[in-house]
Amino acid sequence: MDNLASQASGNDPDLPIENDSPGEGQEKVTDKRAPHPVDKADRILTVDMVRGFAVLGILLMNIPFFGIDGSVIDTVIRGSHKTADFRTMAAIFTFFDGTMRGLFSMLFGAGMILFMLNKVETPGGVTVVEYYYRRLLWLVFFGLINAFIFLWPGDILFYYGLCGMLLYPFRKTRAKWLIVIGIGFLSIGVFKMMLWYNETKTTRAGYLVAVTAEKAKIKLTEKQKEAKASWEEIEKNQRPDTSRVNRNLRKMHSGYGTIFNYFVPRNANFETWGMYHGIWDMIGMMFIGMGLFTLGFFSNRLSTSTYAMWLLAGYGLGIPIGYIYFSKGIVGSIDFGPYLDAYSVPHWVLYDLRRLFLCIGHASLLLLVYRSRIVPWLMKILASVGQMAFTNYLMQSIICTLFFYGYGSDNYNKLKYHQLYYVVGAVWIFQMIFSPLWLKYFRFGPFEWVWRSLTYGRKQLRN
Amino acid sequence: MITDLEETPAGEAFQTVTAPPVSPVPANRILALDTLRGIGILGGLFISIWYFGGLNTNQQNGLLLHSKGINYRLWGTVDLLFNGKMRALISIVFGAAMVLFLVRKHHENKLHKSDLFIRRQMWLMAFGLINSLLFLWAGDMLFHLGVMGILLFPFVRLKARALLIAAIITTLIFSAKNYWNYADDRMAYSKFVAVIDFEKKISKDSLLAVQQKIPAREQKKDSLSKQQKDDKSAWEGIINSRKYDPKKNEEGFKETRSASFGKIWNYILPNIQYREAQWTYQTGIWDFAGMILLGMALLKFGFFDVGFPRQKYLLLALTGLAGGLLLGWYRLQYNQYVLQDYTRFIKTNRLPYNLFFPFERGLLALGYVSMVLLMIRSGVLKFLWWAFSRVGQLALTNYLAQSIFCLLYFTGLGMGYFGRLQQYQLYLVAGEICLIQTVFSVIWLKYYNYGPAEWLLRCLVNGKWLPNKMPVTELSGPSAVIS
Repeated sequence: MDNLASQASGNDPDLPIENDSPGEGQEKVTDKRAPHPVDKADRILTVDMVRGFAVLGILLMNIPFFGIDGSVIDTVIRGSHKTADFRTMAAIFTFFDGTMRGLFSMLFGAGMILFMLNKVETPGGVTVVEYYYRRLLWLVFFGLINAFIFLWPGDILFYYGLCGMLLYPFRKTRAKWLIVIGIGFLSIGVFKMMLWYNETKTTRAGYLVAVTAEKAKIKLTEKQKEAKASWEEIEKNQRPDTSRVNRNLRKMHSGYGTIFNYFVPRNANFETWGMYHGIWDMIGMMFIGMGLFTLGFFSNRLSTSTYAMWLLAGYGLGIPIGYIYFSKGIVGSIDFGPYLDAYSVPHWVLYDLRRLFLCIGHASLLLLVYRSRIVPWLMKILASVGQMAFTNYLMQSIICTLFFYGYGSDNYNKLKYHQLYYVVGAVWIFQMIFSPLWLKYFRFGPFEWVWRSLTYGRKQLRN
Repeated sequence: MITDLEETPAGEAFQTVTAPPVSPVPANRILALDTLRGIGILGGLFISIWYFGGLNTNQQNGLLLHSKGINYRLWGTVDLLFNGKMRALISIVFGAAMVLFLVRKHHENKLHKSDLFIRRQMWLMAFGLINSLLFLWAGDMLFHLGVMGILLFPFVRLKARALLIAAIITTLIFSAKNYWNYADDRMAYSKFVAVIDFEKKISKDSLLAVQQKIPAREQKKDSLSKQQKDDKSAWEGIINSRKYDPKKNEEGFKETRSASFGKIWNYILPNIQYREAQWTYQTGIWDFAGMILLGMALLKFGFFDVGFPRQKYLLLALTGLAGGLLLGWYRLQYNQYVLQDYTRFIKTNRLPYNLFFPFERGLLALGYVSMVLLMIRSGVLKFLWWAFSRVGQLALTNYLAQSIFCLLYFTGLGMGYFGRLQQYQLYLVAGEICLIQTVFSVIWLKYYNYGPAEWLLRCLVNGKWLPNKMPVTELSGPSAVIS
């Protein structure tokens, strides 16, 4: 039982086995005959810690999509700005929107480098790169299960698996270039958004001309009628529509079969367009994450003052921009027509910028807290959650769908917006107890274990 | 003689996949793959030319509806022989080349150059995006081949049998997808029928109400709900999209013939995005995966080796051609019924007309491959196969050149022949292009090792400029084969 690695791999004593997935316990797998230096264990602990933080945080953004109809958001924004609902929403959007996904993407990129670098090629064996791609193909498969079996339309594993396949040739690229490329990719996303915005603006302009003509009792041309109709279509889709909402509620309160049939085309659509148009959001952050990891940012290698500086810069810039983004870009654009007329550049261009700052701010804060040793127990718990990130992520889908959907305890759209966050709290507490406890007895989280066994083609050791 | 063929210095032939200058595989196998690739690239043009030249699905439907005349027969023949089969052929060669490139002979356990492979795939994706977004060819397949190579990379090590099973499973999934699409249509139709029945009922009720003088407020709801209206229009939309409408093409012709790149781009962009996103997600993955896996399996079965028995080639060729043509004929027949009256077809048929299309193209492609290999082995038409192998060596260049040529010939950026040519004229254009490309490839390879696009791809993949001059001492040409 001494040499775990050789145990697991049977005839292949050098089968690479460490640092497999984002979310696996690296320090647990160390060869006991050759203990690793402390700083290495340290380094990996902080990566897991940030990952744990991100996987818990992701639920903050996902919970409305699990639990309520989209029209609730609209109602809250149009209602009084002094309600608990609105305040919660303001806080969530200002501090967290997109940042947890961002951190998760960054650490996924970092995980690729960890996976590739910590492994020794074995002569005659399956190469590391093959394991890498097998692993990602299984991740795509798990993503499909998460979307089509657990019925979670917001799944990201599918995209991450595919995006990860594009990272491999960049594993040795220098940090500077990784960050430049990452920012470049994010910019492509912003550029595409601008293209869409301008197109919509043109449609809107055509509509306004047609309406003015109508008021002046001039007969509309075919083209003008078309322009008018196409804007009205956009506006109709933007606004919550009672019959659509009712239909959604009716479906969500039904059994598994109905929801399955309801979600299949929707999920397929998400995955199609998300992969084709939304790739920049994910892959940009992955590249930046690879760059930051290479610089030692996530592995606790920078000086305290550097982290402090990044904390200040990240929050100092990220929070104000985040607030502008929320108050103008989200609340301000609730009436889409006037918003289009008022702004030639929407506030949404700030989205990725603020996301980047806040991601760095969050991570710096965590690392500073870790260094200061104020709450070492909490950091340890977060690291356990991060070691089992894959399990915890899938578990969130299972818990939340069973809690909210009709075939579970059927709480869909029954909670108020701010009450959703009680559910988040409960899930967090559960996962923060469950993860350390599980890791006490087992080497990997349950889904990590399945994933590894599938990747390596044989059952992995359990403890 | 056959030995001459083997001695052809085609060691560099495989170079579209950036193999090392010294290739560990015998030249003949590579020559055969190049020949097949060349056939695929040239043959594929006879299908692509429809869309390059403006013979779109709507007009094809018109031809099929006619169900007689030379144009109909011509279209049917080309569709039967080439449609989807050339893509299948290219995919088979792609799969075989993938294994050859990655799995070193005698070192079955060790993959080499995975890194180069992945980078090459990513550059292929980039070339595909240029081909579609810049050369405006919505039917591009380089993007897909790039993606598929990466997705199937983990399968390269499987044994021949396992690969064959994987190929059959993916092809079955492709068939199943066709079936599910049809099942959706059937569902839409049954909902439509329910709405129509309801409409009849309420009109009868209101008639009754008028006769019996029931006050208006006591009458039942007499209009359709939103859901019912949606159901009704959904089916009507399906019917309309399938209906042949001679006037449907005018706008497309006008936009494509306009001299502004931006205008054409705007018009074609949705098609490009559909092809690269939706089509890939729903169908394309299975379309390509089945054939690429088949190619991998064939290579591992020794199908492309010199020692593969001729009787087996003959058997596979006959089975493939017979099976494929039979299934294709069946498909065309039923496609006609679909076009004549889709409602009636849906009422009477549980299965879609294109259910076996994935197998039709697989069988036919396999038949072609076996036939060509048999002929190469028997020394028939040697010169022709040699010429095709030159085209195949420049596959990437030729493929991109087709897009550029057609962009300039058919759209308003150049001569604007889009939608102005008869079907047979389109084939003449395609034939001319094939001739030019064959001559070009032969001449180019006299002076250079790689085609321009292949050379560029190699440089990009390796991250440095590489020489492309043919050393003077090396002689390659038909003389080596013919003598």
